Amino acid sequence: MEETRVVQGTWDISTFKFRIEGVGLRRMLDGMKEGKLVGTRCHKCGTVYLPGPFYCRKCHIEINEPTEVSDHGEIMTYTIGYADVRGNPLDEPRIAPVVKLDGCDSWIMGVLQGVKPEDVHVGMRVKVQWAEERTGSLQDMAYYVPE
Amino acid sequence: MRNVGIVGIGYTPVFVSKRKDVNISEMISEAVEAAFSNTGLGPKDIDAVVFGNMHTFEGVNLPHLWAADYIASLGKPLMRIATGGTTGMSAFHAGYYHIASGLHDVVMVVTYEKQSEGDSQVGLMGIITPEVMAMIAAGIDVTGGSGMGAIGGGSAGGISFQASSYLHHSGAGIEHIDEQAALERRNAAKNPYAHLKDPDATAEKVAQTPLVSWPIRFGHICPTSDGATVAILASEKAAARITEKAAWVHAVANCASDATTANLIESQITDPAEHLPAIIASRQAYERAGIADPKKEIDYVEIYNGFAHQALMYLEKIGMCEVGEAHKLQEAGELEMSGRMPVNASGGVVSTNAIGTSAMNRVTECALQILGQAGEHQVEKDVHKAVAHGWGGMMQYVTITVLGDKPKKD
Repeated sequence: MEETRVVQGTWDISTFKFRIEGVGLRRMLDGMKEGKLVGTRCHKCGTVYLPGPFYCRKCHIEINEPTEVSDHGEIMTYTIGYADVRGNPLDEPRIAPVVKLDGCDSWIMGVLQGVKPEDVHVGMRVKVQWAEERTGSLQDMAYYVPE
Repeated sequence: MRNVGIVGIGYTPVFVSKRKDVNISEMISEAVEAAFSNTGLGPKDIDAVVFGNMHTFEGVNLPHLWAADYIASLGKPLMRIATGGTTGMSAFHAGYYHIASGLHDVVMVVTYEKQSEGDSQVGLMGIITPEVMAMIAAGIDVTGGSGMGAIGGGSAGGISFQASSYLHHSGAGIEHIDEQAALERRNAAKNPYAHLKDPDATAEKVAQTPLVSWPIRFGHICPTSDGATVAILASEKAAARITEKAAWVHAVANCASDATTANLIESQITDPAEHLPAIIASRQAYERAGIADPKKEIDYVEIYNGFAHQALMYLEKIGMCEVGEAHKLQEAGELEMSGRMPVNASGGVVSTNAIGTSAMNRVTECALQILGQAGEHQVEKDVHKAVAHGWGGMMQYVTITVLGDKPKKD
């Protein structure tokens, strides 16, 4: 008996829409064109999110106050990848930190360059390396580098 | 609320990578038959059935209805529960509610996974599809090469951030994760229902397996298993008719937080190693169970650890030791079957993972320890009270069950 059979089909993924995409993420992407990181602040508890959701995750109220956050921050946790998503070994291990930017309460992932894997650590200070040509895409935050 | 006891447990004869000799319903029926033969009960004795497995992991949308006549549910109340990795314990909790509420007296909880018939990565992808689509629309590189697309593969990629943060905050090292994996694979060698068994496992051997995503090695990761588990629950009155000795539910609790790790679209605000849901749910459960000091009052622990570090991390989160203490207990041998705080004598999820059963097996394994029926993997100390932990959802959902050797007093 055959181990696997292939069945043809289609899946329309263009219908996946997030309401959040239209508010906080749009604000963030527009700011990135100018090299700024614009999040959303909760007017009640002061929590700052990047990208900003349309409601405060702690107070459960609608929020819509643009707040600029720093492009410098601190590594909260990280991993080091040794293979790509298809399992092929990478030439150089890839460091992926989760960073808490100054003035922001949420964490944001990225790729860290300019550091050897053995030197990366939680608490390390890093800054965003912006793409030379910014287009209002998440790729504008090219990677993190040590501060 | 009425007291509820576990009066019968049934496993498939084996938990392995591929059960090619049976289909899903046939495999499930093996565990049902085992539970019936262990209790002397039959289909006529069951008032209602609760069913649990992962969402569409095998590409079967309504397995509980396909299997309806294999699980003695014809003409009876039947519901399916799916909450992710925690599914097995959520199904168990639903069975508990059925009886504690007074609605039913004897309820059968059926859980299974036949991972060989599906693709777990496809199943996991289905959990995060909307977010990934929004991220792609915003220009993210999902291959992880640049920008914010630092997405690891499946849950191993996501969980590496948790493990990394756990190591930082606890002071443990990767060698403690190696040892935990080895300890549990050694335990698994004594459990006939475990999948990956290695009586000679050592931290050194685990350390030779390749790093998948720092600090997670191949040797730290659970297998994909085929298997089914059934538990029969009963009210105090019904239990007295069925058995002389039951394991009694003293408390159930569950809790969710925001979807941690890689939750770019909605902003990640939680440290994946902080795991507030585990802290909240366990404290609620202890309060409901009348347990003031779990360190002293709980004799045995089953932790859901799809990844080896989680046994250590969750021992701290559910209050079985202080933060930064779990790896020291491990060094002192206290987590072994002969230790003062034995954990996962079954081999844990890191040795066996038929997902739908995995959180359920944490409960049934606690019950077997309380009943003294764990066989070769029975721990040395007497077990009067035990706590079972389930983990899953989008990494951020926890279930807790506290069991005791006597019905809970009001």
